[in-house]
Amino acid sequence: MFSVIGLAAAKKKVTELLSSVRKEGRLELTELDSKRILAVWGVPVNRTELARDLSEAIKAAREVRYPLVLKIASPDIIHKSEAKGVKVGLTSELELRQSFDELIDNARAYKPDAKIFGVTIQEYLPPAREVIVGALQDLYFGATVMFGLGGVWIEVLKDISFRLAPLNAEDAREMIQEIKGYPVLADIQRAPPADIDALVNIIQKVGQLAHEFPEITEIDLNPIFVFDNGKGAVTADARIVLGGRK
Amino acid sequence: MSGEVRAIFEPKSVVLVGASAKERVGAASPVFFGSLVHNTLRFFKGKTHVVDFSGRLDGAVKNLDQVPSGCDIAVMVLPPKLVMKNLRKLFARKVKAMVLVAGGFDQHQLEELTRAAAKQKVRVLGPNVLAGVINTTKGLCITLERGLMPPCGGIAMISQNCAVGTAMLDRACAYSVGVSKFASIGEGADITETDLLEFLTHDKETKVICIYLESVRDGRRFLESIREAVQKKPVVVLKGSTVREGVERNRIFVAALKQVGALQVSDIEELLSVADALAKQPCMRGNRVAVVTNVSGPAVLVADVLSREGLALAKLSDNIIKKIIQKYPNINIADWVDLGIDANGDRYKFVLEQVLSDSGVDGVVVVNELKSTFLKLEDVQEAAKAVKKSKNTPVIDIVMCGEDCVLVRNELRDKNVCVYDSPRKAAQALCALCSYGKILKKVGK
Repeated sequence: MFSVIGLAAAKKKVTELLSSVRKEGRLELTELDSKRILAVWGVPVNRTELARDLSEAIKAAREVRYPLVLKIASPDIIHKSEAKGVKVGLTSELELRQSFDELIDNARAYKPDAKIFGVTIQEYLPPAREVIVGALQDLYFGATVMFGLGGVWIEVLKDISFRLAPLNAEDAREMIQEIKGYPVLADIQRAPPADIDALVNIIQKVGQLAHEFPEITEIDLNPIFVFDNGKGAVTADARIVLGGRK
Repeated sequence: MSGEVRAIFEPKSVVLVGASAKERVGAASPVFFGSLVHNTLRFFKGKTHVVDFSGRLDGAVKNLDQVPSGCDIAVMVLPPKLVMKNLRKLFARKVKAMVLVAGGFDQHQLEELTRAAAKQKVRVLGPNVLAGVINTTKGLCITLERGLMPPCGGIAMISQNCAVGTAMLDRACAYSVGVSKFASIGEGADITETDLLEFLTHDKETKVICIYLESVRDGRRFLESIREAVQKKPVVVLKGSTVREGVERNRIFVAALKQVGALQVSDIEELLSVADALAKQPCMRGNRVAVVTNVSGPAVLVADVLSREGLALAKLSDNIIKKIIQKYPNINIADWVDLGIDANGDRYKFVLEQVLSDSGVDGVVVVNELKSTFLKLEDVQEAAKAVKKSKNTPVIDIVMCGEDCVLVRNELRDKNVCVYDSPRKAAQALCALCSYGKILKKVGK
């Protein structure tokens, strides 16, 4: 997965990012922080830029390009949708201008004392099959990875699988095939099969991240957009939580 | 490490320490001490010394000082206070290991005890082990249940709970399933499930290791030990405590066990069925099962259960079918081989030989009834002969009637045959043989 040099460099970078978050007195990383760590670790994430004000937003939008996704950036707002802090599929600067103020207002209404960094301007991903990859530290066994399909598959049917990390590609593949909803990803459906290899890579990487950094108590990549075979998988939202004292 | 654990299982001499008169409640009661003395004198092939603080038992001494130095195990049937009081005397006798039967040690006592034992290099099993240690070939039977001694065989059992362990042993006795060694861990102050697992992995008499688990200390080391063990022999785990620990935690536990190649069962019955097959039979290379029966109705039920458990019915090759029909034109071969209710031992023998020579068969189930058929009890020996000859394909026997099953089991007592009284148990056993085949393939063996 990693070359030896690659791993050492990635570990150093992640350690720096984590300690800077701790220095700010936070244990729950923002989406932006989480994605930065994942990107360093080699997990594909959609392009995500912080904009502290409208002019920065407009500038970032020109780089990321329309259509795009706008999300509130606040360390105090974890559930962004609940705070009406997400806009998907903005196609023009006009829409961006309107949405920017709206998102900030919504956040203030949702949590008046929330610290607001601004918004993130994000690359829009075309519709795809959505999955979740997570990690936690089990009391008995330590770093553990979790996999499941998004939405009702997990919330209602509890259709998830676990493996201890670090795990090999075969374990990751078994983990994907183990869930009841697997046919949704396989070529059993009329659609072409999803890019399982890309998912295997993400599962292994997330597992290794939790294994190398026991101070990370929770990783949640939700959702990951999995495209058709050969077209990859990209993390659209992510959350990392640290354990212990601030 | 395992050299010291060895003293627990393979002692040349045992000293039993308790009091036969003073009435106590719980594990240190004189009734239990009496049973322990009875079991050891009755079964143990080594030297037994008894220390009875009450000084009443025949042949017992009253004081630890009177015991010769260098005994392998001391079994203490004493309350914590008395154990602690006699600790120095016990160590002066240079014992290698000790079993603490009673529970109720406080944290301070436990720490003092384990520290002192470690200093003397004495390994400790317990405290709180009412069903302690069994080694069938040595006749070692350190249990408080009078006469609970299973037959010799290839199954080793480790239990984190004494009463569950006792239930496992009881079933082994009831089904004449052979056991090599047994140990329960109790509170596990020193010897853990991992220590025992590592010892049993290298034990020549043990063909399969069964573990009843509720929790685990040093989880990663335990898993690595399982990973090592399954390269040599199958490990079957019955995991309890889902309700107490929560569904998600348990799912992680189950996934972890699967990841390292442990087979898992959901109750004691399944544990025995599966372990019996794994101890006696080769594993399956595929999932195709041939069914050979003298009663067609029950074969329907057997086929249903096999398919429900993910096994397939084997399709015999034309060549084999021709050979069978040539000799016995009335035999009906479709999804299974129906020998007819007039089948005798000769017919079973011939057909089993043919079926076992078919490369499209990964496992064979013999189904029989004695009631309302012409099959005589001695005819079932043919199944045993087929098992003996078959080196790479497992053969198991389902006897559809309960009373018949007891008879058949007795008839085949000394043979290496798995006899089941229900299709479900047989299917679980075959599935385990199939799963272990896959695990061996995965680890490249």
